[in-house]
Amino acid sequence: MKKIDKTTYHKRTAIKSFVRNPILSRPYQIIILQCMLLLGCTEFVEVDPPQNILIAETVFEDPATVESTMANLYYNMREQGMVSGNFGLTPTLGIYADELDYYGFNVDLAQFYNHNIIAINNRVELWWNQAYSLIYGANAIIEGVESSKALSSSERNRFKGEALFIRSYMHSQLVGLFGDVPYIKTTDYEENNRVSRLPESAVYDNIIVDLEEAVGLLEGQEPVTSNRVIPDAYTAKALLARIHLYVGDWEQAVSYATDLIANFQLEMDLDRVFLKASPETIWQLQADDQFPINTSEGGTLTIELVPGQTYALTEELLSSFEENDLRYEEWTEPISDRDNTITFYYPHKYKADYNETESLEYSILFRLAEQYLIRAEARARLGNLIGAANDLNQIRERAGLTATQANTQTELLEAILKERQLELFTEQGHRWFDLKRTGNAGTILDDIKPNWNETNLLLPIPESQLELNPNLLPQNVGY
Amino acid sequence: MFLFLYLLLAPLLHQKLAAGITFDPPQSTISGTITDINGLPLGGVTIRVQSTNRGTISDMDGTYSIQAGPNDLLVFSIVGFRTLEVPNDGRNTINVQMEEDVTQLGEVILNAGYYTVSEKERTGSIATIKSEIMEKQPVANPLAAMQGHLSGVNIVQNTGVPGGSFSVEVRGRNFLNGVTDPLYIVDGVPYGSQSLAAPRVSTEIIGDISPLNAINPNDIESIEVLKDADATAIYGSRGANGVVLITTKKGKAGKTRFDAHLSTTLSGVSNFLDLMNSQQYLEIRREGIDNDGLTPLLENPALDGFWPDITVWDNNRYTDWQKELIGGTAYRQNAQLSISGGNELTQFLVSGGYLKETTVFPGDANYRKASLNSNLTHRSNNGKFKINFSSSYTREDNRLPGADFTQQAYSLEPNAPALFDEEGNLNWENNTWDNPLAALEEEFVAATNTIISNATLSYAVAPNLELKSSLGFTRYRLDSYVTNPNTARNPGLGLTPQNFSNLTTNASERESWIVEPQLNWKKHWDRLSLDVLVGTTFQQESSNQIVLRGRGFPNNGLIKNLAAAQSLEIFSTSDADYRYSALFGRINLKLYDRYILNLTGRRDGSSRFGPGRQFGNFGAVGLAWIFSRETLFKESSFLSHGKLRGSYGITGSDNIGDYRYLDTYNVSGESYAGTTLLEPSGIFNPQFGWEANRKLEAALELGFFNDRVFLNTSWYRNRSSNQLVGIPLAATTGFSQLTGNFDAVVENTGFEVDLRTVNVRSKQFEWSTTLNLTVPKNKLVEFDDLESSTFANRYVIGEPLTIVKLYNALGVNPETGIYEFEDYDGDGEVSNPGDLEWIEDLAPKWYGGMGNTFTLGNLSLDVFFQFKKQRAYNAVRFDATPGFRGNVPVALLDRWQQPGDIATYQRSSSGFTTVEDLGGRQQSSNAAVSDASFLRLRNIALNYKLPTMENRLDINVYLQGQNLWTLTNYYGPDPEQPSSTRLPPLRQLTLGLQISF
Repeated sequence: MKKIDKTTYHKRTAIKSFVRNPILSRPYQIIILQCMLLLGCTEFVEVDPPQNILIAETVFEDPATVESTMANLYYNMREQGMVSGNFGLTPTLGIYADELDYYGFNVDLAQFYNHNIIAINNRVELWWNQAYSLIYGANAIIEGVESSKALSSSERNRFKGEALFIRSYMHSQLVGLFGDVPYIKTTDYEENNRVSRLPESAVYDNIIVDLEEAVGLLEGQEPVTSNRVIPDAYTAKALLARIHLYVGDWEQAVSYATDLIANFQLEMDLDRVFLKASPETIWQLQADDQFPINTSEGGTLTIELVPGQTYALTEELLSSFEENDLRYEEWTEPISDRDNTITFYYPHKYKADYNETESLEYSILFRLAEQYLIRAEARARLGNLIGAANDLNQIRERAGLTATQANTQTELLEAILKERQLELFTEQGHRWFDLKRTGNAGTILDDIKPNWNETNLLLPIPESQLELNPNLLPQNVGY
Repeated sequence: MFLFLYLLLAPLLHQKLAAGITFDPPQSTISGTITDINGLPLGGVTIRVQSTNRGTISDMDGTYSIQAGPNDLLVFSIVGFRTLEVPNDGRNTINVQMEEDVTQLGEVILNAGYYTVSEKERTGSIATIKSEIMEKQPVANPLAAMQGHLSGVNIVQNTGVPGGSFSVEVRGRNFLNGVTDPLYIVDGVPYGSQSLAAPRVSTEIIGDISPLNAINPNDIESIEVLKDADATAIYGSRGANGVVLITTKKGKAGKTRFDAHLSTTLSGVSNFLDLMNSQQYLEIRREGIDNDGLTPLLENPALDGFWPDITVWDNNRYTDWQKELIGGTAYRQNAQLSISGGNELTQFLVSGGYLKETTVFPGDANYRKASLNSNLTHRSNNGKFKINFSSSYTREDNRLPGADFTQQAYSLEPNAPALFDEEGNLNWENNTWDNPLAALEEEFVAATNTIISNATLSYAVAPNLELKSSLGFTRYRLDSYVTNPNTARNPGLGLTPQNFSNLTTNASERESWIVEPQLNWKKHWDRLSLDVLVGTTFQQESSNQIVLRGRGFPNNGLIKNLAAAQSLEIFSTSDADYRYSALFGRINLKLYDRYILNLTGRRDGSSRFGPGRQFGNFGAVGLAWIFSRETLFKESSFLSHGKLRGSYGITGSDNIGDYRYLDTYNVSGESYAGTTLLEPSGIFNPQFGWEANRKLEAALELGFFNDRVFLNTSWYRNRSSNQLVGIPLAATTGFSQLTGNFDAVVENTGFEVDLRTVNVRSKQFEWSTTLNLTVPKNKLVEFDDLESSTFANRYVIGEPLTIVKLYNALGVNPETGIYEFEDYDGDGEVSNPGDLEWIEDLAPKWYGGMGNTFTLGNLSLDVFFQFKKQRAYNAVRFDATPGFRGNVPVALLDRWQQPGDIATYQRSSSGFTTVEDLGGRQQSSNAAVSDASFLRLRNIALNYKLPTMENRLDINVYLQGQNLWTLTNYYGPDPEQPSSTRLPPLRQLTLGLQISF
């Protein structure tokens, strides 16, 4: 009873005056006071936490519950934001670049397709919010396991490594989409609520530091699952290879890609590349075993009926395939209306139907083919043209194509970029990020997107976020 | 705790010591007969000898006898009559005639929770409804019986399905978080009114399940609603949204009385929508397809799935789906038997009730309720020790189909196929439709068990001092499940029990106990009387819930057996403890019988807040001046009662759920790669504290002509601040908000009028009227940074919380045939949020009720009207573009067809175009809101009391109707609850018989 809160209201007239009331004899006052004291009001209103929720500290005292908080991050990657799913980068950046045409009614997506995105675009805001929500989850795990005394050092390393990977992966997507972004390393909401943006190069520096630490922590850990649905040291290296390519550190890119090429192998049957047991998969998100039991990428992009299509592959992409490219055969599928007056093509990398009785495919985020193309490009940049052509030809051969004719550095780089377009189409926006980083976006999109402007290379910071945290100003140019 | 027990037991020990020898003056036996003004004998009158506290009760023939001294004063009292004080003056026979109290006002004692107060001397605002009024209404939930009867209390029935819930608002919406539930107290025990229903189990059919269904309206003596600060501040932190006190019936001294009620109710949907017939429907369907240029596609059989109503089904077929699916008659049988009686020291009442109610849906769904209520009151010979024990047990068993058929009834194509094929099986018409009766294959069952019990012990320690303790316990258990067998799905989908059939169950329980020791000290002097109460409360409430789903059963016969499921998922589990402790007090000071000061206060501690934030202080001051008792008015013949009263005080709310101040992780019920998920539940903020609600009230009460005309008018202004809401955070924190106190102020002001008149009063005929009117106004006064908050699109400063922001519909463009809207922000596009600037308030502007009671001899007639002035979403909210698949109101025939047409609805469309359908915006425009005011004959009751027979058998026959007639120009199903998916409140007709002896 002594803890009287000064900020609450001091309207205790009735009680006070009662206690002071001289009419009441003293013994009764004492009885009441004793009663209050014996039963201990303050203690009485303190309750134990319930069994179905866990207090943060206890979560990190048991490896099983830490595993559950990690699982929450992978689940959210699959379901909600930019990483995978209906709202992911795959369809959205597909229509922003030159991969997909858009026939749906969604205003936010129409803005992507037409290149007239405004700062209140819901999809953009969703991506931003979800990325930082995942980053919070990762930071909470990093802080939690660091202070935990109950975990073995191997467990602590694995959890921290995975969380560092997720933190850097999400930041890498954010920096690719928005340019300068805050790099969040703490769960302190007061700090994060007022955080400022870091220059793009500093964001990449942070990503690389985190990833290198993650590799160190994850190296040598036994895989948690057999089907590569949890990222490990290889996944971190694959991202390092990609980031080094993006920032132009060719040697490092070659080095990391080489490590992966030595440890994984390409699936030679194109029909089987996207199956869940594909040997070239470095990291994939396990599909829901309830519904849909296969990938939402497959579900979103597959056209069931014409008319009724939402996305369809563009003429630009379809016409880029060379004669005899098996990928055209295996990875795209036509569908016509009843009268065969019009035919659309949709991506057919994921083939499994929703109604299968078991999951056949998972959402693949990193696979070996990209690493070959990373190494090819980095080698070409370093002047190792033969090595570059070899790597490129690995991919071309699998697609049933002859060896590349390119033999100068420029030709090779051009051939590799085109190969990336055809190999990695409708996968996590690779095409858009390639157009952006190589400076080709203008030349290619100018023709097909009437609203094209150089400022479209970066998405707007969501307006609501600029209002909530003015330290994020200024808005990206053009919005 | 030991000291506490000692305190409880002390009176018992003490009693023995106090029972000494006292000197009694010489006593003689006095007897007599008591009659009413018409000379009819009055039974059940309490006769008390003032000096000795001895008492007795008059017999059914009005006779009594009692021991009293020659100078004693005899006090005759009975509810409904003026209390008489008769000096003995040494007589042996005293015959008295008791005068009926016209409005019963003087003797009406109101339950104010921790204390009682007479209607005339109350300082607070208390609305009450008595059993006489509730008994006349054929309803199963006490909240239904209150609808329209109480000023300042707005009650809306959420669904016509038995067992459903009600929304209750006492003096408007106070809090941004939308919680309006008042605190419910049943016989002194707080009763959790929040539904424990799990959306996954019950959303489709019933929504929330109201725990108040467990309280049988026939067992209720009175319901009091505490409204202002003076009345609610003693409930401190839980008084902000008002307090509803439910008092159950008690036994009365006298001959053992048997009372049996039997009634049968027929009910049905009161209003059907005027929907299109097949010809009209198919006409606009074809027109829409033609408008979109898709007519050639009709020839393409591969596309039949888009429009089977046109290309596959019999175009000449017609079914009135409203009649088929919600047009049935629901039957309710209600039986109640109670036995009561006792002597002057001990009274008892035991009552049992059974109710069975079917639905208007097809199938044999029904709701059954059995209840047992008992009450025991005892006082010791010397009157010092008193005990009151009451308990009730209710079991409800609600068996309903898996889904409410209402939406289907409004939207099924009028030419949709037959429900059954020739063999009597569900017809799926070659997989071209979803048979609505498939929902009958799904089974929803909600079984609840409710126990409410309370004991109050008191002991008069000294002549003026009473020690009292109330002990209460409640337990509410809900077990519900819904089955979803493969047979409830189109067989064309190829589903089997093994790969589809599933069962979702919800097992929930809430248990609470309360202990409230109190001391009450009263003293009367010549000019002053003082009443002081002080007490403490200790309360604990625990609740838990587990929602499970089992999927894949060997066959559907095993579908109710979770053990037979192939896979079991836990959707959610919760388990929460809530503890609450308080110190409260009241000082009531009355000077010269006419100046009254009432001070109440409470210090509350709640486990819902973090360390250091648990306690809050609340209190109020109430003042009353009964000016009619001033000498000036003493002689006045017409003014029989006049009182000015006012109050100001603070109440609070801790309505934010348990454990919100902790840094926690929740089990979401989903899993990834075989690992169950744990998700952070939010940002840890241990800092938040009580919501505050400051209430101010001023009222004038006037009684004229011996209170035959009684008027109560009050004005209030309640301001709620320190609002507990989610404070928006930048997404870089990982979350969008933080639970905390927000500097927003919501103001509710209003004006309430209650008028009671006895218009005609003669020996044979009596006519009395009650009228109540509430004119509420809600306003968001202050909200820091509203523009940049997450509430920017919902609220506007200076406007009510109940507003909706809409597009301004400009009608249909006569050239294009498409809806147009005002472009508020002038950016050339009609878009959200820039153009959602039209504001409509969906709260009632004023509401109330008017009742008339006519009594002619043994015949009485009650007619009660409820009225409400309001605007609400109309049917445009659900259908704005003609031509889509699914039936619509005939109003949509007034559509644009060719350039130059001036039409209400835009041109028909197939729904398969590539351009955005602006019907969606019309549905979010002011065209979708219109007047929904209504005048409703909520209740009519005709009662005939058979002349009392030789054997004193009382027989009443009654006919009651509920919701019989409505005057409204509302465009939609029912103005009370505008919804296209929920069954509207039903019209009911009851025939009943009451036998007592």
